[in-house]
Amino acid sequence: VIFLWAQTMQLTINKQRIEIPAGWEDETLLAVLHEALGLVGAKFGCGVGLCGACTILINGQAQRSCQLRVQNLADSNIETIEGLTIDSQPHPVQRAWLDEAVSQCGYCQAGQIMTTVALLRRNPKPTTVEIESALAANLCRCGTQQRIRLAVQRAADSIQVHAS
Amino acid sequence: MKRRTMLAISGGLVVGFMTGCAIPVIPKRPQAKSANAIGWVQYVDGRYLLWLPRAEMGQNIATALKQIACEELDIAWDQLDVQLPSTRDIDLVRATVGSESVKDYALPLAQASATLRDAILAGRQTGKLQVTERPVESLRSFSRSTRAMKTDSNRWIGQRVELEQARDIVQGKPLYASDIRRPGMLFGRVLRAPAAPELASRLLHMNDSASRDVTGFVALVQHEWLTFGRSEGIGILARTPGALDRIEAALAIRWQVDGSVGSQDINATIDIDRQLGRGTLSNAIHKDRVDDDKPWDVNLRFDIPLAAHGAIEPRVAVADYDDGGALNLWVGSQDIFYIRDVVVKRLGLPPEKVTVHSCRIGGAFGGKTICTVELEAAILARAIRAPVKVQWSRGQEYRYGFHRPPSSHRIRIRLNNGRMETWWHAFMSSHILFTNAVVPPWMQRLTDLIGDNGVARGAALTYRVPHRRTEFSLARLPVFTGPWRGLGAGPNHLAIESAIDECARIAGVNPLQFRLDHLDNLRLVKVLERVASAAQWDSTTVIHNHTKPSHIKTGRGLASGIYKEMSYAAVVADVEVDINTGKVRVTRLVCVHDCGRIINPDQVRAQCEGNLVWCIGMVLHDKLPVADAGIAARTFADAPIPLLSDVPPIEIVLVDEGEVATGAGETAIVGAAAIANAIRNALDIRFTRFPILQDDVLTALRAATSQPKV
Repeated sequence: VIFLWAQTMQLTINKQRIEIPAGWEDETLLAVLHEALGLVGAKFGCGVGLCGACTILINGQAQRSCQLRVQNLADSNIETIEGLTIDSQPHPVQRAWLDEAVSQCGYCQAGQIMTTVALLRRNPKPTTVEIESALAANLCRCGTQQRIRLAVQRAADSIQVHAS
Repeated sequence: MKRRTMLAISGGLVVGFMTGCAIPVIPKRPQAKSANAIGWVQYVDGRYLLWLPRAEMGQNIATALKQIACEELDIAWDQLDVQLPSTRDIDLVRATVGSESVKDYALPLAQASATLRDAILAGRQTGKLQVTERPVESLRSFSRSTRAMKTDSNRWIGQRVELEQARDIVQGKPLYASDIRRPGMLFGRVLRAPAAPELASRLLHMNDSASRDVTGFVALVQHEWLTFGRSEGIGILARTPGALDRIEAALAIRWQVDGSVGSQDINATIDIDRQLGRGTLSNAIHKDRVDDDKPWDVNLRFDIPLAAHGAIEPRVAVADYDDGGALNLWVGSQDIFYIRDVVVKRLGLPPEKVTVHSCRIGGAFGGKTICTVELEAAILARAIRAPVKVQWSRGQEYRYGFHRPPSSHRIRIRLNNGRMETWWHAFMSSHILFTNAVVPPWMQRLTDLIGDNGVARGAALTYRVPHRRTEFSLARLPVFTGPWRGLGAGPNHLAIESAIDECARIAGVNPLQFRLDHLDNLRLVKVLERVASAAQWDSTTVIHNHTKPSHIKTGRGLASGIYKEMSYAAVVADVEVDINTGKVRVTRLVCVHDCGRIINPDQVRAQCEGNLVWCIGMVLHDKLPVADAGIAARTFADAPIPLLSDVPPIEIVLVDEGEVATGAGETAIVGAAAIANAIRNALDIRFTRFPILQDDVLTALRAATSQPKV
C-alpha cells in the first residue's frame, strides 16, 4: 500500500498540486515543466546552468530548472512565469518589460523576468550594481541588456509606488 | 516492447543522391512583388490577417510590417492579427537575411494592403484581388507627409507600439519551435563523433544492448541519411529528454575520425602574410597597383578568430507525419522554403507532402540559414512513425554548426602631407555565402572564381585615397564557417577603422577630422558629425579624467562605416582599463544611425543596441577554442558572450531625412573599432589580435614598460 501511494509524484507549481506523469520521475524540472506539463516559459539554452533561460523560483529563490531533479522537489514551492499573471493582470515586472520593449528574440526573457521577480522580493530597491550582480548569469545574445536594466528599475519603481 | 529493437530504415526508400558528390539544394532568392504580397494580407469576417513573409527572430519585423499594413489599410491596431506562415500559406519568399526585410518587403506589402483597402471601401468582401500598383508617393506609409499627420489615430508609421508577441513572451506562452508538443511525441538526438563534420568520421563500436536497458529507450536509428558533412550519425529516440543523455552514456560509442584540425593549421591557412609571400591573392575589390618598395606609414596585421553565433535557443525542430505520409515540420529557421526543399530532396518526398511551419526564432544572427536539425527530426520521425522533437545541445551547436570564419588582414597605408595616398588591404578568410557546411569542395573551387560577397562585405574603401588596392583569398577550413551578423563587415570594418585611427595618429590629425578629410559620402559625413556632437568628441580626443584612481586609464575611440551601401553608422566608445588587472570596461557607447525612412524608431534603436553589444563581444569576448578534432567549446564558459555588467549606457541618435527605407540589423556592427580605438587611446597600445583579453592587456603593458621609449 505504501509503495502504491508513493508511486505518484506531485509537485507544487504556481500554488497548485500537479501530478508528474509516469516515466518522468528521473527528469529535470525543466524537462517536466516544458515537455510533460506544457509550461513552456522556462527554456532550454545550455543544460548546465550557465545561461539562465530556464530560471524558475524554488521557495522564492531563482534557480536553474535544468539543474534540478523533480524527485527532490516534492516539498518545494515552485513558481514559473506562467504563474505571474493573475486575473489577466500582468505582474509589475512583466508590465515593465512591455513598457521598456525589452524583448528581441525573447528566448531568454522568461528567465530574466523570473530572476528579477526574485531580486525585487528580497531587495525592492536594488542599485545598478545589485541588478547587474543578480542578473549576471542570465545571458542575452540579442543585446537587450540596457533595456533589461531599465525594466528592472522601472519595475522596482512601480512596486514602490504600489506599496506606498 | 517491440520497438526495443535496432531500427534500420533501409531498402524500399530511394536515396536521392550519393553522399559526397551531390549538388546541394540552392536557396531560391526571388524578389518580393506586390503580386505575392496580396497573399500576405487577408480580410475575413471583419478582421484582417497578415501572414508574416519574413522570419521573426527578434528584429521584431512582425511589428514593423504590421505598422505598414495597418497604415495602408487605415485600421486600428487590434483589427489585424499577425501569423507566422507555413510554406503552404504564402508564395515562396527568400531567406530572412542581410537586413533586407523593410527595404524589400514594406513596399509590396503597402501596395497589396492599399489594394485591399480600396476593395473593401468598394464593398467587396470576398475573392482574390489583383494588385493595382500606385505611385509610391500616394501610399500612406511612403508619403512624405505621413509624419505631419501623426494626430490621426490610425497613423502607425514612425510610432512606438507594443511589440507583436511581446505579451506572449513575458507570459511564457508557446511561440518557439522548442515549445511545440505533439500527441505521443518522442525525443530524438543524432550522435556523431565529437569532431568537425568536415572530417570523415564513422561508428567503430557501440554498446547497443546496454542502451536498450535504459528506462525510456525507444529505438536506435542507423541510416546514411543521417550523415551530415562527412560525419556519420546514429539516431537515438526516447520517451523523455533526460533518457537521451542516459542512452548516450550507455551506448559509450567509439568513433573513428580521419585526420585532425588543429588551431595552428587553421592559423597557418588563414595567415595573410604567408599567402602574400606565395604570390597574388585571388580576388580584388580595388585593383590599383601599389608600390611596395617605399616605406609605409601604417603597416598593421590584424587577426580575428572564429566566433559562434551564441543564440540562446539551440536549433530545434519537431517533425510529425500524418496518416497519409505528409510531413509537418515546425522550425526556427531563417528560410522555411529552403528547409522544405532540402527535406523534399533528401527524403525523396513529393513537395506537396512537406509543410514547414515558421516559429519565432530564439536568436539566429545568420546561423539558422541551413538545414540541420530539421532533417534529423524528419528522418527520425519517419523511422519511428511518431512525432519527434530534436533540439541540439549547446555542445552540438558549437561542434556541428557553422561559425564566423577567422580572418587575417594586412593593412598598409602611405601618407602624403597628412593625407592618405596609398591604401593596401590584403586579407585571408574562409567562406561565408558559399559555406562549407553546404557547398562541397569541388563546387567551392568554382565559386572561388567569383569570390564570396559575404567575405568581401565592408571591405570596399569608403575613404578617398588616390591609389588603393583591396584583395583577398579564401581557404576552405576543416571547421564549418558561414554567415554571422554583418558577415565580412564586422571583421573588415574592425581592421579598416583601426588602421584609419592609427593613420590619423601618425598624421597627427584628430581621428574625426582625418576621416572627414577623406570622405565624400554626405550621409556618412553627417552621422560622423552628429556622433561627434552627441558624444562631445573634443579636439584632443584624449579624456583626462582626474577623478579616477591612477591605475584606471580612460580612453575614447571613434569608428564609422556604411553597410551594404544602404545604411550608415558612426560610434563613439569610452573605455576604462584597469592596468593592475588588465580588465577593460566599456563605459559609454554613442551611435548615430541612418537607415533612411524609419517605420519603428524604437526598434531601429533596439537593433543598434544589439549590434553595439556585439561590438563589445567582437573586441573583448568572441572566439572559439579549436582542438584536434574541431571546435572544442562545449558550454558558454568556453565561448563567453557579453554579460549585463559588460554593457554600458548606450545612446542612439537616429537620422531620418526621408531617404528610402533600408535596413538596421547589422549596420552598427561597424562600430567595434570604436572600442579598439578607445583602448588604443587609453593605453597607447594598438591591439591587433582579437578578442583583447585581460591577459593580453597585462602582457602588452609589461612589454610596453620594459621597452625604452624612443
